[in-house]
Amino acid sequence: MTELTLAKALGSGLRRALSEDDKVVLLGEDIGTLGGVFRVTDGLQRDFGTERVMDTPLAEAGIIGMAVGLAFRGYRPVCEIQFDGFIYPGFDQIVAQVAKLHYRTAGNVRMPLTIRVPYGGGIGAVEHHSESPEAYFSHTAGLRVVTCSTPQDAHSMLREAIASDDPVLFFEPKRRYWTKGEVDEDAVGLPMGKARVVVEGTDVTLVTYGPLVATALDAAVAAADDGISIEVVDLRSLSPVDFDTVSASVRKTGCLVITHEAAESGGLGAEIAATLTDRCFYYLESAPVRITGFDVPYPAAKLEDHFLPDLDRILDGVDRALGRENSLTGWSA
Amino acid sequence: MAVREFALPDLGEGLTESEIVEWHVAVGDMVSLNQPIAEVETAKAIVSLPSPVAGKISALHAEPGATVAVGTRIVTFELEGAADAAAESNTPNEPNASGGSGASDSGNDDVDAESPSKADAAPERNSVLVGYGPAVESGKRPTRKARTARAETTGSSPANTPVDEPVDVPVDVPDEAPAETPVAAPADARTKTTPPVRKLAHDLGVDLTRVSGTGAEGVITRDDVTRAAESSTSAGGAAQSDSSTASGSTAPVSGQRLTRQTDRPREQRTPIKSVRKATAAAMVSSAFTAPHVTEFLTIDVTRTLELVTTLKAKGSAASVLAVIGKALCIGVDRNPSLNSRWDAEANEIVEFGYVNLGIAVATPRGLMVPNIKDADALSLPDLTDAIGTLARNARASKATPASLNGGTISITNVGVFGIDAGTPILNPGEAAILAMGAVRKMPWEYHGEVALRDVMTLSLSFDHRLVDGEQGARFLTDVGAILNEPGTVLSMV
Amino acid sequence: MSTTVPVKAEKPVAKKQNPEFVQLLDPDGNRLSDDVYDQWVSDVTGDQLASLYEDLIIVRRIDTEATALQRQGELGLWPPLFGQEAAQVGSARTLRPDDFVFSSYRENAVAYCRGVKLPDLVRVWRGTVASGWDPFSVGMATPAVIIGAQTLHATGYAVGCMKDGVDSVAVAYFGDGATSEGDVSEAMIFAASFNAPVIFFCQNNQWAISEPVGLQAQRPIADRAPGFGIPSIRVDGNDVLAVMAATRSALDRARNGGGPTFIEAVTYRRGPHTTSDDPSRYVDPVVAKEWEARDPIMRVEAYLRSEGVLTDELAASIQGRADQVAAEFREGCISLENPEPLSVFDNVYATEHSGLTRQKSQYKAYLEGFEK
Repeated sequence: MTELTLAKALGSGLRRALSEDDKVVLLGEDIGTLGGVFRVTDGLQRDFGTERVMDTPLAEAGIIGMAVGLAFRGYRPVCEIQFDGFIYPGFDQIVAQVAKLHYRTAGNVRMPLTIRVPYGGGIGAVEHHSESPEAYFSHTAGLRVVTCSTPQDAHSMLREAIASDDPVLFFEPKRRYWTKGEVDEDAVGLPMGKARVVVEGTDVTLVTYGPLVATALDAAVAAADDGISIEVVDLRSLSPVDFDTVSASVRKTGCLVITHEAAESGGLGAEIAATLTDRCFYYLESAPVRITGFDVPYPAAKLEDHFLPDLDRILDGVDRALGRENSLTGWSA
Repeated sequence: MAVREFALPDLGEGLTESEIVEWHVAVGDMVSLNQPIAEVETAKAIVSLPSPVAGKISALHAEPGATVAVGTRIVTFELEGAADAAAESNTPNEPNASGGSGASDSGNDDVDAESPSKADAAPERNSVLVGYGPAVESGKRPTRKARTARAETTGSSPANTPVDEPVDVPVDVPDEAPAETPVAAPADARTKTTPPVRKLAHDLGVDLTRVSGTGAEGVITRDDVTRAAESSTSAGGAAQSDSSTASGSTAPVSGQRLTRQTDRPREQRTPIKSVRKATAAAMVSSAFTAPHVTEFLTIDVTRTLELVTTLKAKGSAASVLAVIGKALCIGVDRNPSLNSRWDAEANEIVEFGYVNLGIAVATPRGLMVPNIKDADALSLPDLTDAIGTLARNARASKATPASLNGGTISITNVGVFGIDAGTPILNPGEAAILAMGAVRKMPWEYHGEVALRDVMTLSLSFDHRLVDGEQGARFLTDVGAILNEPGTVLSMV
Repeated sequence: MSTTVPVKAEKPVAKKQNPEFVQLLDPDGNRLSDDVYDQWVSDVTGDQLASLYEDLIIVRRIDTEATALQRQGELGLWPPLFGQEAAQVGSARTLRPDDFVFSSYRENAVAYCRGVKLPDLVRVWRGTVASGWDPFSVGMATPAVIIGAQTLHATGYAVGCMKDGVDSVAVAYFGDGATSEGDVSEAMIFAASFNAPVIFFCQNNQWAISEPVGLQAQRPIADRAPGFGIPSIRVDGNDVLAVMAATRSALDRARNGGGPTFIEAVTYRRGPHTTSDDPSRYVDPVVAKEWEARDPIMRVEAYLRSEGVLTDELAASIQGRADQVAAEFREGCISLENPEPLSVFDNVYATEHSGLTRQKSQYKAYLEGFEK
């Protein structure tokens, strides 16, 4: 067990993957000599060579497309997209090729790619560096989408993603890169497809993932002051979503709040609200509540606090779910 | 000699119909496979149609210059030899021949007899650049595909299918992962009902944990809640439970929150005082002074329930308890000995000309029996309201001493606890007490057949010094007759 | 003349070497000499050329049959390669089994040469499956429908070959329109940066549906590659010998660590974009007629006849073979069975996906509710 930052935990996960399987190759911009703009791949090219850790030209479609070709050749590529906002040039290769090749070829061709994407806001950045594009990919059949919230999960889930024979979009909460936590490299963790109940509670189920897990935990602590007991669920997997775990929690509490940075319309929150309403209707005390980013492009740094869900907005949503006085009391449907 | 029909196929030119410009063949001609047989105009281009088979033209079904819808038969061939009979069913072999989804009767059907009907089938598809194109409207009235009969679900609730418990459907594909298996609701799961019904229960003060759901999968329905509210005069409205499900889904989770049981002390001591002390004294006095006899009558009260529903629908206050109260008043009118007192001091039996109807109420402080003065003079709606008021006041510890004194006869509702019958103890000084049991759906005789009816047991305890068995029985059957058929009243008053 | 002796350019050059592109056989069937490229086909015997001729005849026949099948409603769509036979056959016949092809949807002659079975050629067009064959069984990926995407895949595959230390080559086939897509430029950048053993084989058939190549490129397409640092060959795509020579030279370069090559095969799409297209709306019949005169099969036939290799007997037997293939192809097509309904859920993932498992179970229950 060692204490590592989330970024270092990812690096150690990549290191283990490179050591354990010769077919693992890393591709991305600035991952070699520089060690990555967030230093996640620091030292890896030095230790494994340029054949295993490849700096690529500045072209996201190129990175993903080349990874497809490598996968055809039997390799297990791990691509890094430098920032969430740069994934779009590679969107076609991901959605039209990577996601569909296994299906299209009746399983003859496997795409065991991992595409690592630092995502989310809260870092005071310029535009295109704070996106949450996960819904585009969780909506695409053929892809698995996961996201970690702790250093331990970062390490274990990344190794599991790389080992998976399916393509995995691996979203890393960049504002948590410097969060420290205990990492046991050999721990057999919760499978990446499962959600985790981080703290138990009885009054309301608060579902979230990635960067907002820490915020949700803070909200749970603050809520205790009001005598509210919140159960926080870290989804971890966005495709598939572990609805069994979430359903069990909602059947217990009767109230559901979902929070994510991504915009409200068409986001994962909508999917979870709809599915949980379907599966747990007879256990619901109130309608599911979503506390999310607004339907605007990610704003300038000075405004991001008015976009991102924070502790107070989340607890306002909790109040609404519990039928307590809240900012929308009296608003008609 | 096999016959092969050929319909105008989707030519990929973006039209639903085409004009036959010219035939290159005539009836009786022998043609070879792929030999051009017609020129067809589409989108201002003329396309040559190659023959789909080698054979003889036995019929041409369109005149040059005629516009033909895609999917319409245009040529009939006579094929040489039986081998060709296995040839294709004509029509554009598009997957969704019937316009429905899923697997189709496509290119490989080989029954010639079907071909003509398929050939005359509705137009198939509009072509697009990249495939068969979208299906063309058939023009027929939309209908659903025929389904096999489903098992009827019972219960009036909207919960017809368990949406939160996946069915374990075995999957046939060999290396497929196992299909979903049902997930049991956790033991601490909440009561199952819909959000609107949950609100109704809250508004009516009904404790959902004490209501048994009659909907599918034990879901509590709106009717369950309203029935529980109306039949309840005590402790937060409990169930008229007609299904004796002792399931985990009605596990005793409080309407508020699940609390863990604390460890019980080996002995917990409470001083005997106030209400409990007084009640106990009264019970002892009653039990050991008046010789108690209890008689039972089980009756079909469906008509009473219907009456109550009807009256309420008309906006008139009514409840089963009030109807019983009314019946009781009529009953004691005909059998006055049950509304009397043994006055030992005066050495007299007092028969009352009025009914001060006591209603047993379980309150947080203990059992109380406040009474409604001159209940026999109240109309059914008024009596219903009076009962409600009385119960509320008692529970809120607002019962006046006056209301607690002067009762002449009492009713106790053991049905709210799910009990059928009992041997109630007389309210001290009274001659009779009538216990009403839970209403249950039971198989019962009805018009000479067995039917599910709402059935209740009445238990009448009386002071045998004042009431003899026959009088008690007659009173009980009077009450029973009214409950069984409320219209009976007309023959009694 | 002996048919086993290599066919050489014995006669003096009948026509001036075309400065536009590499040409070893002109439209009239005259053998031209070329200092650079003659050596790559110096071993080709009369028999071998006749065999190539047979390939050309057969793939054209398959193409015609497929078009007819579409007109008869047996296929939803077919993208004809009519006119491009030499570009595809000439290049495909030079590849080794361990090479790997990433193509567009029009390379059915390449697929034929790679050994794809006849019914497998049409599965996708009939709509019974999304992919006609197992890529690894014939060394050819499922043809790409997204224009140009396959060029990156070929590059990645080639990089993988380098890592494996083998001299296999990846070949990307694409059209003139594809060269406008960013993926193609990116593929060339990556190929050059990594010195990947990949051949970018562009069939410039002059059309991208209705858009002429002049809309895609303001100078010959072959001129782009050197800008990326990739050597380029412009070849007469209707000349099967020239195509063969160019491809062999590119293969040699790649196998020996010389990196990528770009080949522009200049040809003409004599048919529609697909069977749903109406070229009469945009093709100048005069131009189309000119290209007819440059037909790839005609010139080989003329040459083989003039060399005495193609006798009437041989021609007849080739025609017979073509008819046989066509019949087999037709039979294979119409006997393709429709897929089972629940197979719509197959192979989305290599491992179990809980959401999909549930969906499939529920749909199965739904289907079972209907009368059979």
